[in-house]
Amino acid sequence: MSPVTDSRKSVLERIRAATAGKAAEGHADIPRNYVRRGDMTVSARHERFVERLREYDAEVVECEPEGLAAAITAVLAASGRHRFVAPPGIPAEWYVDAAWKIEGLECTFDHGLETREIEQAEGVITGCFCGVADSGTIVLHHGPAEGRRVISLLPDWHLCVVHSSQVVETLPEYFDRCQVSGVRDQGPERLPKLVTWISGPSATADIEMTRIKGVHGPRFLHVILVRD
Amino acid sequence: MSGVTDHPVLDPALAPPFPAAALPVLRNVQLRKNVAHAIDVIQAKRGKLVAEKTDWQELRTAAAAIKDETLANLGGYLEQFEERCTAAGGHVHWAADAAEARRIMLEILREAGANEVIKIKTMTAAEIQLNPFLEAAGVRAYETDLAEIILQLGKGEPSHIVVPALHVNRAQVREIFARTMGLPDLSDDPKGLTEAARNYLRQKFLEVPTAISGANFLVAETGGVAIVESEGNGRMCLTLPRTMITLAGIEKVVPRFQDLEVMLQLLARSATGERMNPYTSLWTGVVPGDGPQNFHVVLLDNGRSSILGRKTERQTLRCIRCAACMNTCPVYRQTGGHAYGSVYPGPIGAILTPQLEQLRHAQSLPFASSLCGACYEVCPVKINIPEILIDLRARVTDQERHTVGKFFDPLYVGLRVANVIFSQAWLFHFAQWAGRIGAKLVTRRDGWIHALPSVGAKWTQTRDLRGLPKQTFHEWWRERKTAGRQVSGSASQRVGDAVGGRETK
Repeated sequence: MSPVTDSRKSVLERIRAATAGKAAEGHADIPRNYVRRGDMTVSARHERFVERLREYDAEVVECEPEGLAAAITAVLAASGRHRFVAPPGIPAEWYVDAAWKIEGLECTFDHGLETREIEQAEGVITGCFCGVADSGTIVLHHGPAEGRRVISLLPDWHLCVVHSSQVVETLPEYFDRCQVSGVRDQGPERLPKLVTWISGPSATADIEMTRIKGVHGPRFLHVILVRD
Repeated sequence: MSGVTDHPVLDPALAPPFPAAALPVLRNVQLRKNVAHAIDVIQAKRGKLVAEKTDWQELRTAAAAIKDETLANLGGYLEQFEERCTAAGGHVHWAADAAEARRIMLEILREAGANEVIKIKTMTAAEIQLNPFLEAAGVRAYETDLAEIILQLGKGEPSHIVVPALHVNRAQVREIFARTMGLPDLSDDPKGLTEAARNYLRQKFLEVPTAISGANFLVAETGGVAIVESEGNGRMCLTLPRTMITLAGIEKVVPRFQDLEVMLQLLARSATGERMNPYTSLWTGVVPGDGPQNFHVVLLDNGRSSILGRKTERQTLRCIRCAACMNTCPVYRQTGGHAYGSVYPGPIGAILTPQLEQLRHAQSLPFASSLCGACYEVCPVKINIPEILIDLRARVTDQERHTVGKFFDPLYVGLRVANVIFSQAWLFHFAQWAGRIGAKLVTRRDGWIHALPSVGAKWTQTRDLRGLPKQTFHEWWRERKTAGRQVSGSASQRVGDAVGGRETK
């Protein structure tokens, strides 16, 4: 037996010896009296989401579903940036090739781009899985419209498209959405393997607790909230 | 580092006892100013954001219950984590102690052919003193968290578990960066300093193919690992390298993915006073095409399982390392973190370090507290730190009084004598009588004892003692009963006088 498996056995034995005795309370007995469902109206929830995002210094634009492509083009054009990357799975109606050409905007889709190529991009456009109003958080599960983790990390500028139907009020409601058809305990294969919770642009307060926007992650976070 | 004369020792086996280690800090006015300033800022932010959360207490209760249930079934949950993480393509290793963890990690690095590694801030790696070990083995570790860069380049030591360079001010950071990065024109504006760190690390992130992280949470249900951070250096380390090693204490596991809904709401608010920290990442084993394709988790015991067996002390392992206890602690505020002689300072350090050392070292730490209870009040997982401090004090005292040479220690001789005297009423009365005669010799005219002779001087060095009263309670009681039989009314009048009561009409 290798020393490594020896340690596995000895650590587990020590744990079992220390926790032996009276049967412990089960996971189902945990008191969950915290707020698990928000009580805001739809419009108040959206307002809260936008307000919290702005408090993190994120830029937020709102639009109707039919105005999304125009809104994206406008935000990209106003950014002063030209080279963008996007995950291959973003919906076709998000971009209008012709309009982008006029503005001089280029977008490369991530079909296995090299790190260096992503690093060269000035911005990234992604969707998201969910938005949490209470904390102004955007959650990525890195599905087809959200892309690999690296593409929303290296570019200095991130535009995330959030549909209002994706916005929940509280964090527990996000976790409910991860469960299929509201049934909990679906097993690990139903739960996301990759999650990134993003709350504002990258920041630090390591020097005298002064919050500085933008360290290694994107320094600029833009959100388009689509009222669908 | 400028302004710090005595280099702190953060190895509990070598560090001086707390009172001695605290002295140089108490004399360092600049350091105390830096610590107090940073803490005031965090505390103000935290207070505001906790107050707006209407279900804060319910979240704390749930978090404590989740952690208790995890710890009660820890073996099962760790096995489940191992099984699920392995099924997802990760490799799980078990380390009984620091030396084994270091050896396992070095083996993985050697196999990957690494001579450089990028690191996300991990106090667990600091606990096992990983960096000096790797350096000696020819692997250069680059810290990527801004505070850790400041400390690594300035050859400093962490003084806080969330903001490790909290004791360093911007002028000192400027000096360190200007000197070590070759930027003589750097200003002390935090924005410029942050930019310098970004540029310093960018190439490292893109080039170094191996990374080391700690873990905030291990999810037993999925085999996932979660990291909570602000800067994005964590995401860089988790995404770009080919090989990734996560070092995690065995207590970091939570049973279900859903349990994070409680933990994530508590952690950022408690730690940095934010509704949510900028980035939290969760990954599960190896995901083809996204992130490191060679992923290892090292589960570290290093004394933790010995804490598990004691009912009161087990709470220690609920800790989610938010540092709210040190931010609120009146002792930490004065001494900063270095005096604790461990990478875990403040109230949590005062209970965690001696226990991880199994009371072989750091015995002075349980006494480094005023027992005011502020730490318990803010703790997001409701660790009753004062209760554990008192329990540890008892254990340290028990250990000490049984050591050879302590038998004739005046304190323990005194306590043994007191033990005999208090067990016999006549001895007690005799001692009171003798004590009053003795006390007369040292009581000044103002009714106070300003200086006791011999070992008693230790007590009166920093405080005055009131002289003994002319009458003991027993004597007064007897007299009252006698007087009461004579004139019942005046006796009750006298009781009122004695307790300082006054009738108003």
